[in-house]
Amino acid sequence: MNITSNPPSPALLLREMGLDRDVNRWRDRLKGIGPTEVERALDSTPGFYHFEKLLALISPTAESYLEPMARMARDLTIRRFGRTIRLYAPLYLSSFCVNRCLYCGFNADTPFKRVRLSLRDALAEGLILNQSGIRDLLLVSGEDRAHVSVKFIEELCAHLRNHFCFVSIEVHRMNLKEYARLFEAGVEGVALYQETYDRDVYAKYHRQGPKADYDKRLSGPDDIAQAGMREVGLGVLLGLSDWRTETLALAEHVHHLIKSYWRTHVSISFPRLRPAHGVSKSQFPHLVLDKELVQMILALRLCFADVGLVLSTREPAHLRDHLIRLGITRMSAGSRTNPGGYQYPQQGPGQFQVDDDRSAKEIADMVRCHGLDPVWKDWDKAFL
Amino acid sequence: MDMLTLAGRTFRSRLLLGTGKFDSNETMTRALDASGAEIITVALRRVDLDNPQDDLLSSIDQKSYLLLPNTSGARDAEEAIRLSRMARIATGIEWVKLEVTPDPYYLLPDPVETLKAAKILVDEGFVVLPYINADPILSLKLQDAGTATVMPLGSPIGSNQGLHTRASLRIILEQARVPVIVDAGLGLPSHASEAMEMGADAVLVNTAIATAKDPLGMARAFKHGVIAGRLAFLGGPRAPHLQASSSSPLTGFLREE
Amino acid sequence: MDSVIVLNGKERRFFAENVPNTLSSLLTQLDVLETTAVVEIDGRLVHPKDFSETLIRDGQRIELVRFMGGG
Repeated sequence: MNITSNPPSPALLLREMGLDRDVNRWRDRLKGIGPTEVERALDSTPGFYHFEKLLALISPTAESYLEPMARMARDLTIRRFGRTIRLYAPLYLSSFCVNRCLYCGFNADTPFKRVRLSLRDALAEGLILNQSGIRDLLLVSGEDRAHVSVKFIEELCAHLRNHFCFVSIEVHRMNLKEYARLFEAGVEGVALYQETYDRDVYAKYHRQGPKADYDKRLSGPDDIAQAGMREVGLGVLLGLSDWRTETLALAEHVHHLIKSYWRTHVSISFPRLRPAHGVSKSQFPHLVLDKELVQMILALRLCFADVGLVLSTREPAHLRDHLIRLGITRMSAGSRTNPGGYQYPQQGPGQFQVDDDRSAKEIADMVRCHGLDPVWKDWDKAFL
Repeated sequence: MDMLTLAGRTFRSRLLLGTGKFDSNETMTRALDASGAEIITVALRRVDLDNPQDDLLSSIDQKSYLLLPNTSGARDAEEAIRLSRMARIATGIEWVKLEVTPDPYYLLPDPVETLKAAKILVDEGFVVLPYINADPILSLKLQDAGTATVMPLGSPIGSNQGLHTRASLRIILEQARVPVIVDAGLGLPSHASEAMEMGADAVLVNTAIATAKDPLGMARAFKHGVIAGRLAFLGGPRAPHLQASSSSPLTGFLREE
Repeated sequence: MDSVIVLNGKERRFFAENVPNTLSSLLTQLDVLETTAVVEIDGRLVHPKDFSETLIRDGQRIELVRFMGGG
């Protein structure tokens, strides 16, 4: 008899829990949660995940408990991560894309002059970032396999690894072999957001192109972890569907990865729908308020002591300054979301509008003002 | 009903009993009955040719109990594998409690040889229950290799000192994908309760019962201790209350909107 | 003819009329219950169903093992 140690698939998990469609049925359950359940959740040891605990923490009733949640989340984050915040910057390689995601500035249907960076241009961008102090780089691209191929990223990494201590990617969904190759080339992390865990909503916003395959997307993080990547980044695009049920599904996905791939570090990002070229707010009925974003961040921190919580430059400066005291461990600094944007800020539209245009140095100063140490490099390959 | 599931089999009792150190087979069988245990460990030893009638198995109804052969005495992976195969050929039982203890003083398990043996035994189709020090990384590696459980020690065999390894046990319990059976060093029913309250799936007790003044009484006590601990765990124990600290509000900015 | 085997690490001599031919007869002679015995001959495990057919030869190293109490 062979005991199999194959982990169950996230798709199956979500289906069994009723989190991948008809999520309205959770509304009554969430409404029915009272102060006793919220307090029980707060009384339990911070940092450990139970589904019922998260349910209570994201409930409408828990809104009145944000301050105690914030204190616990902050204390827990400081104990596990120290008084630090990691700073990184995105480097957009291409605004070409074959997908037609309704919410995205790079949607294939949106007419604008697309930009593709050559190896030389990409390196020039990298140099500017390096000079600003950045040592943690995220390579981003629309789904442009023809140009942003595994080979292209390999070549880019060969140069970049001399200037950056951590390189991660947020590009189209690749397969296990490709991820393994990229790991060999020096890429150590991959961000692959499900965008939404609701199958019907997913189908609505992802009309065409490889990204339209919900299951393929969902199985991505498992491949990323199996390929040996040290970090995998998950997230939902807040605003597509009800944030509460999205948080439940996201947590189950995170928990699955933590249990199944103990060598891999999981992080969660909180991209919130923002205005973009060709994208209007009126199309999105589930926009998330600031206090809801805060509740989501706090609830997740109280359930996952060691997961990274990442804040992008979608959020305005004043909000980011407050959010970093609530359990955030990594944030972007001085970002440009248009390819070539560090050299040529006006060159073409970005993937989304950046609402915090402070430079990396200004962000670092702000972080220090809050009693935190901005960490540029978290991992020094020079010793290995 | 709350059942223990190990390798696809279910059990009512979360107390496993070791059969060593009893003063007689008779005491052992009576303690076994008092404990409510359904799984018992046995060792393989050379037949005492001067005393060939002394036969443990003839005292045990194999239909009522799951016999779990252990590889005690093995000092390396090869010996453990050899003992496992011996046990299987004689009884057809594919379950084995893997114990590799090269140090005869403390009988602490060798992590390297245990992992080595576990991989081979899993490949040969055994249901492997490895006895280890409370090492979280080793636990994960054994689970990756396909063992049915992990069995971290509370304190060295026979020391009766309780859960010295509790900090590490907590991590193992948090990260485990398989049932965790705390084995070794449990000297009192309260130790067993504590392990169950922490979330252990089961405990294994031998010395504390076998060498008690009243083994039957102690067996009964452990039975209740395990049940109590499990009920407490299921009831949802609360963490010690955190003091509210008076610092400036972290979420005040939300009300400024 | 006499026979010497190494049984559980010790030499054992069997005199002519008592030499056991098969494993089963050896166990009977030793008063060891067949159903609970585990036997290894020259490092090789013998399946219980083969006990009655397994021949005992001069010079073999035989290990007779059984389950005992253990933790």
